[in-house]
Amino acid sequence: MGEEKDLRSSLSMELRRGTLALSVLSQMKEAKYGYSLVQSLEEKGISIDPNTLYPLLRRLEKQGLLESRWETGGSKPRKYYHRTDYGTQIYEELKAQWEELSEGMENLLKEEES
Amino acid sequence: MNNRDRELMERYIYQVVRRLPGNQREEVRMELQELISDMEEAGESMEDILTRMGDPAKFAEKYQDRTHCLIGPEYYDNYIWLLRIVLICVSVTVVAVSAIQGIREGFLAADTGYAGVLATVVVYSAARGFTELFASCLTAFGGVTLAFAVMERRKIKVDMKKEKKWSVNDLGDNFSVKQKIWTPNHLSPIPHKKAVISRADSVVGIVFIVIFGVLLIFVPQIFGAVLREGEVIRIIPVFNLEQWDVILPLFILSLAVALADEALRLVVGHYCKVVMISSIASGILQIILACIILKVFPFWNPDFAAEIAAQPGDQISPAVRGALARWDGTLISNAFLVFIIAVTALEIGSAVYHTLRYGVKNTSDGFSVTR
Repeated sequence: MGEEKDLRSSLSMELRRGTLALSVLSQMKEAKYGYSLVQSLEEKGISIDPNTLYPLLRRLEKQGLLESRWETGGSKPRKYYHRTDYGTQIYEELKAQWEELSEGMENLLKEEES
Repeated sequence: MNNRDRELMERYIYQVVRRLPGNQREEVRMELQELISDMEEAGESMEDILTRMGDPAKFAEKYQDRTHCLIGPEYYDNYIWLLRIVLICVSVTVVAVSAIQGIREGFLAADTGYAGVLATVVVYSAARGFTELFASCLTAFGGVTLAFAVMERRKIKVDMKKEKKWSVNDLGDNFSVKQKIWTPNHLSPIPHKKAVISRADSVVGIVFIVIFGVLLIFVPQIFGAVLREGEVIRIIPVFNLEQWDVILPLFILSLAVALADEALRLVVGHYCKVVMISSIASGILQIILACIILKVFPFWNPDFAAEIAAQPGDQISPAVRGALARWDGTLISNAFLVFIIAVTALEIGSAVYHTLRYGVKNTSDGFSVTR
């Protein structure tokens, strides 16, 4: 039983992993801080664990797709991330690929139903 | 946020950041403080938040992007193979040496009767054997592991360089091409039959190096002339054991360099520029070390000839006596040096020849497949 559960969760994690960067990039046109990003993703039905999100943000920043700055004006310091121009360019390309992929997937899955 | 929650949060953050590189800690600490307090303000309990965030060790792990292994899968097989050979050689030699010394001690205790001799042999061999076996296996393990760990790091560097070069060539292409991609051009050609270095070639050298090293470390006195003095067997060392503390480390360094060179050959598996450079570097170092050992230090036992000559009568033939009368450390050193340089030069020459003749053509970039 346990093994089957592991298999299931690892397969579903694999499935979601590929979409994470695209999900995050899609929300980053406007600057957001970590938790607001978690919320805006969750509102749209994409849940992402903080222990995945934060390292991902850092990696995307290192790769030059995101930029961050600390804002110390509010009640506590907050780190805001937003997309760079390069990030936007990559995002558009990924988006096009995703659309193509999801169309293809839809065809595959429909075929199974009929 | 009450004090208890704050304490839990601080503990959690501490457990994450202490696992990160120093220059990331402050930043991550602030990020996590922001996140956790945001989640808490949204109404979640601290327990729930931290449970959702999961094991801090795993959290920290995801921040790390470097590879976490000392010896990667590419080297692992060769590493284990070499380690096995080295450990077997070390153990067998150490056990044999201990047993022989135990037996010698037994002879010395000959007057204690049969049981006494047996007890001396067993106790002495076992006691000496165990301590030295442990120490020498640990050292051998450490040495081999270090050599492979260095190679692993070097290789990683080489890989990264390659990747960079590759992406520069592809700048301006669309996104997917910028990733590291593989083309059939990346296939390194099958090395020429004569350029292949097999494990069998390496094994002789490795076994010799290891056994010689163990003997030099534990029983340098066995390299000498064996004489019977009545009941006692006496060995007159050929090396200058009074200077041994200084000479031995150089010897070991020299053997370690040779072993590292063998390990590299083993991993690369065929003659190519890397193997050639390693051979040349290792060879030159061997020659330099040999010069230092033989020429700078009083390497030979200066009393060797005199001690043997002092032996009474018929054990030594007149021819040997004649040879011993001309015992001259400098002359022997020079002879050895010439021999070592000749052997090393031969080895370097063989590596260079095999590389230039069979190895280089195969690794050049001008790649074409004829049909």
